[in-house]
Amino acid sequence: MKISFAKPHLPAEDAVIVGVLENKVFTPTAQALDDLAAGGIKRAMDASKFTGKKDQVLTVLAPPGTELKRVVLVGLGKAEAIDAQAAQSFGGTGLAQVLSSGDSVAAIAIDAVAGLKISDADFAANAAFGAKLRSYRFDKYFTKEKKEDKPSVKKLAVLCAAAGAKAAFAPLDAIAEGVFVTRDVVSEPANVIYPETLAEECKKLGALGVEVEILGEKQMKKLGMGSLLGVGQGSDRESQLVIMRWNGAKDKDTAPVAFVGKGVCFDSGGISIKPAGGMEDMKWDMAGAGAVIGAMKALAGRKAKANVVGIVGLVENMPSGNAQRPGDVVTSMSGQTIEVINTDAEGRLVLADALWYAKETYKPKAMIDLATLTGAIIISLGGEYAGLFSNDDKLAERLTQAGKSVGEALWRLPMGDAYDKQIKSDIADMKNVGGREGGSITAAQFLKRFVGDVAWAHLDIAGTAWSKKDTAICAKGATAFGVRLLDKLVADHYED
Amino acid sequence: MVAADGASRVLAAHQPVTIELAAAETPRRRGAALAAVLPGCPGPVAVDLALAAAAAAELAYGLRLRAYRPLQYRGTPDDEDLALPQRVIVLTDDPMAAQRLFARHDAVASGVLLARDLVAAPGNILGPSDLVEQARRLAPLGVGLKLVDPTEHGLNLLAAVGQASRRRPVLAELHWKGGADGDKPLVLVGKGITFDSGGLSLKPAEHMEEMKGDMGGAAAVIGALRAIAGRKAAVNVVGVLAIAENMPGAGALRPGDVIRSYRGLTVEVVDTDAEGRLVLADALAWACATLRPRAIVDAATLTGAVVRVLGRHHAGLYSNRDSLAARLLKLGLAEDEALWRLPLSASCDDDFRSDIADWKNCGWGKVPDNDDAARFLQHFVAPAVPWAHLDIAGTAEADEDHLFGPKGATGFAVRLFDALAGG
Repeated sequence: MKISFAKPHLPAEDAVIVGVLENKVFTPTAQALDDLAAGGIKRAMDASKFTGKKDQVLTVLAPPGTELKRVVLVGLGKAEAIDAQAAQSFGGTGLAQVLSSGDSVAAIAIDAVAGLKISDADFAANAAFGAKLRSYRFDKYFTKEKKEDKPSVKKLAVLCAAAGAKAAFAPLDAIAEGVFVTRDVVSEPANVIYPETLAEECKKLGALGVEVEILGEKQMKKLGMGSLLGVGQGSDRESQLVIMRWNGAKDKDTAPVAFVGKGVCFDSGGISIKPAGGMEDMKWDMAGAGAVIGAMKALAGRKAKANVVGIVGLVENMPSGNAQRPGDVVTSMSGQTIEVINTDAEGRLVLADALWYAKETYKPKAMIDLATLTGAIIISLGGEYAGLFSNDDKLAERLTQAGKSVGEALWRLPMGDAYDKQIKSDIADMKNVGGREGGSITAAQFLKRFVGDVAWAHLDIAGTAWSKKDTAICAKGATAFGVRLLDKLVADHYED
Repeated sequence: MVAADGASRVLAAHQPVTIELAAAETPRRRGAALAAVLPGCPGPVAVDLALAAAAAAELAYGLRLRAYRPLQYRGTPDDEDLALPQRVIVLTDDPMAAQRLFARHDAVASGVLLARDLVAAPGNILGPSDLVEQARRLAPLGVGLKLVDPTEHGLNLLAAVGQASRRRPVLAELHWKGGADGDKPLVLVGKGITFDSGGLSLKPAEHMEEMKGDMGGAAAVIGALRAIAGRKAAVNVVGVLAIAENMPGAGALRPGDVIRSYRGLTVEVVDTDAEGRLVLADALAWACATLRPRAIVDAATLTGAVVRVLGRHHAGLYSNRDSLAARLLKLGLAEDEALWRLPLSASCDDDFRSDIADWKNCGWGKVPDNDDAARFLQHFVAPAVPWAHLDIAGTAEADEDHLFGPKGATGFAVRLFDALAGG
């Protein structure tokens, strides 16, 4: 879908999306269309339950007095509550109504409304951003889909009088491209996206100026990454560690922010194999790595003035004659030994070496890892919040705020020595599971042993990486949770 | 019987013991640490850490909490337990002041130990009427008791949960009027399922015996009233206990039954083992409607999910007021009863929407049951009332000896409630 910006006018073709404020207050474009239709739109509204509450929708077909096929009214709620998120929601909700309507051209009218929390240009840019995010669809494997089921809208015109809307959209457009690459790689099945092919996807960021370095098993062995390599040893696919560097800061030598992603491209559980029901979901056990890749693409795409390094540990966890066994003891790059009690608690093993490598190699000023790490986080916070664990209150607060402002909510959970005791091993420095109780916390305690003194946060995104229902800006499926959050964190705190 | 600062030494007649008391610890924690090494010292034991009166009283308090021995139901006492000293003397420069301060702490400690005893009592010994009897025993301290028959007053959720048991459910109010007459009370609500078999949604056999402790919330409320009345606090506090035994039976509540709650909302019971939120829903609505509360805090061994989330080192805290939540978090830290706030989110409603009634009592599958249960309760609390819910399923009992007591019932929330009541 192509998005363009134009001066306000009354469109004559296909579909128009207009806003209505709370208590049925028409925005100017809605009023103009109603005038053309001799009050027909107002009558349609009065005959429905639509009142202009936020995200309500009403589609009026073939309004009289126009050549339009449809006018979509979208509730804006109270003007004074309209912020960037509300604007995105407006664009996404409106687009969802027309996307597969059969219309090929749509326009969204951004009228000047008094009292918004954001400028008119930002309102327009964010509405376009929301529409773009909502337009994403992973449909490449449908070979026989009927025409009427396919998205039809090819062009979206954003009508706005304010200067600078297009310029304000440019960085958001880059972020959307980052989100899309994450949704792509997370949605792809594991026979298509596996460590080497995902590393290839990372390489493509080179076109945006990202330096990409790929370590194979031989190099990782030399570095002593026994923890990561143990997870991948049962698979025919070679494990990879990919380092993506974006040096956008004026001073290329300032310490970077590091993002570390869990990239278990398929997680069968290994010898501690998972039950068959729902195992197909484990193709997205690399969503943490996916989010890091998307965030790097977003940052490079909008030329963020910051030094950022993204590191993803890519493995496939499979049972086989050469697979890691429960009871095995592995030595991590840090020198610490780990007793592998459960081969299905493999994400932390991958992250242990990736975090240590990031810390040793880049001495980052902050380090954030993302991982679909524990099932326990789903039964604690559901899909509403990702779990946040941190050794640094300031970083935790920054992340929480960034999450709040982009609509990727985090909820902090506790850490402490009492929990750390649960991962004591009888034979090694630690074991890789700490029992059922506080399972997400003990996983975080495990990771903490590999971050030294670096300000670090761990986001457990197992409940938020995939959505079973549509939202205003995301069709069901991969959410790319974390991309917009990490981008916002960098924008707010780490740019020149 | 000498002790010095830093690495201190307690000398007993036969058994010199060296113990480390870190100076950074609070006196209460140091007292508790001390108590852990006293078994086997025939005593008397003197503790000389050159403490001021307040610290001496705190140390004695910690010692008292830690020296608790769980009730034993066997003919001969466990011969593995070493005797505790008959007397411990804490030396201080102002014994009178220390004694006065300790009397207050001792009242709270008595509440904590009472709560522990109640949680440890088996289901045959402590049924609904026995729990009421325990509340009645606070009368000499000035605690009034009022019993409410759930069937007569429309507390239909509470009645339904208890309907299969031969032992009748009851709602008990414990009134402490230490404050001025017109002052609105702090209301403490406790889940008191004296035994939770799960009902028709019967629990698996393994570990079912632990369900004798499913009245940990009610025990904490009784313990708190014991503490508050024992130290004659100048505040008004009402304890509300939702008491029932959850059993299968010929007349049992069935999955699918729809019950009209005291608040008027209807509930489809899809899982009879999600009974705690049912009895609490009525108790909370009752408290809002009849007790003019200035705030309500409930405690309940409510969900297994909270144990999966927070383990055994924090209780889950949910609240409709940030200020109340902040206050409880702070008091929790001060009293070594740590809480962690979890979200009350409206999106949880989607998990327990019913096709036939206003709500069902839980969602199935991968839902955050701890958050869902808290959100369910919120529908039964008047929005104007500041309210907090403590899910103490992970903290009411300890799976190993801990700083303030042995393995088993902890009496969790008594000290927190007492501190919250103040006065």
